[in-house]
Amino acid sequence: MGHLASGGGRSPGASLSVPVGGRAKALPWWRTPSVRRYLFGYTLLAPAVLYVGVLVGAPFLFSLYLALSDASVGAPVARFVGLENFTSALETGVFWTAVRNTLVFTVGAAVMKGFLGTTLAFLLVQPFKGRRVVRGLVVIPFTIPIAISVLGWKWMFDSQFSVLNWALSGLGLIGEYGTPDWPVWLGQPMLALASVMFVNVWRSFPFSAIVLLAGMTSVSPEIIDAAKVDGATFMQRFRKIIVPMIAPILFVGAAFDTVFTLSDLSIVYLLTNGGPDGATEILPTLAYNTGIRGGALGRGAAISLFLFPLLLPAMVLLLRTLRRRQY
Amino acid sequence: MSDSRLVQADRPTVTRRSFLKVTGAGATGGALLAMLDARQAPAQLKGTSLRVILWSHFVPAYDAWIDDFAKKWGEQNGATVRIDHIPHLELPARYAAEFAAGAGHDLIYFAGQILTGQYYRHLVDLSDLANDLGTRYGPWMPSAKSAAQVAGVWYAVPDYFISIPVLWRKDLFESVGRPAPKTWDDLRVAARLLRPKGHPTGMQFSHCNDANHNWRALLYCFGAKETDASGQSIELDSKETREALRFAKALYDEGMTPEVFSWDDASDNRYLASGVASWIHDAISAFRTTEDTNPKVFKETYVLPEAAGPGGTWNVGEPNVWAIWKFSKNVPAAKEFILAVANSQKEAMGASRGYNMPFLRRRYDKPMPGLGQDAKLGTLQEQDKITAFFGHPGPMTPAAQEVLTTFIVPDMFTRVARGASIDETMKWGVGEIRRIYAKHKAT
Amino acid sequence: MAVVAQRAPWSRRAKEIRRHTLIYVGLTPYLVIAVFPILWMLITALKQEPDLYRMDVVPFWFHLPPTLKNFEFLFQRTFYGDWLVNTLSISLFVSAITLLTAVPAGYALARLRLPFAENLGIAIFMTYLVPSIILFIPLSRVVSELGLQDTWWSLVVVYPTFTIPFCTWLLMGFFKTVPFEIEEAAMIDGCGQFGALLRVVLPVSWPGVITSVIFSFTLSMQDFLYSLAFVSISEQKPVPLGVATELIRGDVYFWGSLMAGALLVGVPVAIVYNLFLDKFITGITGAVIK
Repeated sequence: MGHLASGGGRSPGASLSVPVGGRAKALPWWRTPSVRRYLFGYTLLAPAVLYVGVLVGAPFLFSLYLALSDASVGAPVARFVGLENFTSALETGVFWTAVRNTLVFTVGAAVMKGFLGTTLAFLLVQPFKGRRVVRGLVVIPFTIPIAISVLGWKWMFDSQFSVLNWALSGLGLIGEYGTPDWPVWLGQPMLALASVMFVNVWRSFPFSAIVLLAGMTSVSPEIIDAAKVDGATFMQRFRKIIVPMIAPILFVGAAFDTVFTLSDLSIVYLLTNGGPDGATEILPTLAYNTGIRGGALGRGAAISLFLFPLLLPAMVLLLRTLRRRQY
Repeated sequence: MSDSRLVQADRPTVTRRSFLKVTGAGATGGALLAMLDARQAPAQLKGTSLRVILWSHFVPAYDAWIDDFAKKWGEQNGATVRIDHIPHLELPARYAAEFAAGAGHDLIYFAGQILTGQYYRHLVDLSDLANDLGTRYGPWMPSAKSAAQVAGVWYAVPDYFISIPVLWRKDLFESVGRPAPKTWDDLRVAARLLRPKGHPTGMQFSHCNDANHNWRALLYCFGAKETDASGQSIELDSKETREALRFAKALYDEGMTPEVFSWDDASDNRYLASGVASWIHDAISAFRTTEDTNPKVFKETYVLPEAAGPGGTWNVGEPNVWAIWKFSKNVPAAKEFILAVANSQKEAMGASRGYNMPFLRRRYDKPMPGLGQDAKLGTLQEQDKITAFFGHPGPMTPAAQEVLTTFIVPDMFTRVARGASIDETMKWGVGEIRRIYAKHKAT
Repeated sequence: MAVVAQRAPWSRRAKEIRRHTLIYVGLTPYLVIAVFPILWMLITALKQEPDLYRMDVVPFWFHLPPTLKNFEFLFQRTFYGDWLVNTLSISLFVSAITLLTAVPAGYALARLRLPFAENLGIAIFMTYLVPSIILFIPLSRVVSELGLQDTWWSLVVVYPTFTIPFCTWLLMGFFKTVPFEIEEAAMIDGCGQFGALLRVVLPVSWPGVITSVIFSFTLSMQDFLYSLAFVSISEQKPVPLGVATELIRGDVYFWGSLMAGALLVGVPVAIVYNLFLDKFITGITGAVIK
């Protein structure tokens, strides 16, 4: 496997150049095999790079400009104010609440998704009757458009008609309606944050499970059998063989999921809009309410871009490690 | 939902298809009449196709009415009108996109979130139209100007506002020997007596529209001011605000359950309709929902225009105004349409079942459509005298709008209800508001 | 001997039963978490409105006869049919654009040892980080310049901004798994490098292609903000936007139809997912593991 790793691997173009290498000197520079390979390669890359460059890169620069200006929705031609939007964000209490909640939300949800996803994958990797049906059922949360399933959750978290509470109350786990033991999912600060996190987990853990399942099925049984013969315990096999093999999947999956979770507005916006008293305020809702609904584009952009400088190095590091890995 | 509601919520917009059906077929009953009418219409309207965006009205029947109105108006004037409805909270995002694109709807609508001050440089001056309406049906309520004018110029034309009165249960109040409520104290006592019997009250301590309006009503009734009349200096830090916060804390402790922290705009409607609430502070759409879904409770539900407080009686309305983008190519048609709707105000208010409160004084001549004939709602016919809007007594400036959308006032009440000290809460809230105002002053 | 021989299958079956029981018991909490909300949505979709607001009776059963009214409402009183077609068309076009750009890009990044390839790959990923809250404003200008405002085509243009980064990385992993020998053989047989990509590498990596298509579908259905900003005409909306904006009227939620609208797109996609799941799993496996 190792010989296929990028960078260290051969490429067909490169290997072809070996037999014909002798003629390379006679060719003008633009026809040398490596230049032709570059040309070919960059031509292949061009559509993707241009697409995201034009439709994300350029608007991104525009939003950077917004973040550094005092633009409002009706007056986009604005004064340059430097880092003022960022510093003014840092001064407000709500902003720090939002940063804290965003981190708790993202990390907490990732841990839960990791746990539920891994354990579910372990179950689904076993052969058993009805596996297909079970797999089909558990992916449904992932396939329903989030904007609608969140509304379903809103109905299930309703303070009065919550079917969750009805069920829990029937089981005797919580009190009757109207007593203090009747949880108000979206009203109690910790519970509200946990609830919005749970919806994110509910939606994404099937995906984590499937990705991990993929990873596990790819670990060849021979390796595991060999380890068994060598007397490795289950935990040892898990730590020494399975974890390293599925780690790269975990990383890419986690990276994309983290970014998706960080920038996802809809769950919090539709369930609590950041309330009560900022208990579920996250950076996207704060940015949306400040920049779009409140009209202060510049400050909204600064708030939504705030995590960018923190995320960027982390992601670069992660992706570089991933790409260089000999797997 | 009842069957009648299903019909009222019929296809939400005048569709291209249904329009083609009408104009294309041309053989429908009133077509000849419509063609005759069309001849008298202003020539510049013919052939225009006007695009209008509106919020999704809380009384679905009104959307059906206005869509139908637009279709007929279009037929009469040889124009096509297309109305798109989207939820009021999402309108600002759409406007940001339309403005950046320099294209979109001709006629736009600010519902609750007044962005006149943000966009006025790019909105058509509607002073002639507004002044005309003022002479015909006015004068305008003073607060109308606050929603629609910048520096004395009308960049928007007020359509109507939503009033948020007290809806209370007569049977429950009587069961604990309480008379009809008049003051906030009456309401508090009733809630205290009724909560142990399973009938608490509720006002939202959360990030939703109603929270913004309900707690402002309490503030203003206690005599508190958000700013001075010019909207420049912040005057929220006052004895009156502290009193209001203290009252809200007591009201919560004695008469509510923690449910209110999770509520959205619709929760109190269900609270009333399900027969639990002793009273709520909400728009009459809650009254209408109850009428449709729980006739027993509806029979006992009464309306108080607003409870009185030590600082007077102030109802906080949610304003709705028309505006026209400068980039619109159909400005004359858009203006004509605003005028046509304003001229049909009686019909419109009836269609909204008394929900759309006019900004023009002479529209308060009794009986008002939808209200006057109704024994319970008749009291709302003087709502113009007690209505204030966010930012009161200052105007609805962009700064006041940002304070509104970042939910600082509801958060202050939430903190105090949860046990935070009033002094600290005041320091926090006023500090956040100052920061917002300072930003807007700088620009 | 005979006794043992007879006993062995029996005990194996007992073991099987025990193993199955353990697995089912273990799966129960996951199924409850994943399926309970779906089941509840289904029940809500089939209930009559007054039946929803009763807490005195078991909410999981029907106290008024179940009804298809909510589904009828979707198709007769809203543009749900159009929304479905729009969503399907958007997803198909987005998938096509994504494949046309991400396949070559992923191949180039994985196989051609280009200078700066690594940084370019990371740059493409990074575009995924830019929040849509700020992107939609400049993008609305682009959409309008292209004359696509208020048509679902605007979303066909915009959605690839998040599907391309994802699928490029995904496909990059797949292409790395294709042995070089296959490709070389093809090239010696007279295919150019591009021919080798089309005729050899792509067919071998088709699970990756399917995976990308499935992801393009799901990611396209997760958007709300772009569609809200760019499309306001009812019959041009995709399903998520249409359902979320036209089945909530102020403080009136059309719960039954909302849930019906969600299930009608979610469940078929889940079924398709499941059909492809085996391929999909090898797909992902190929992408990252090998």
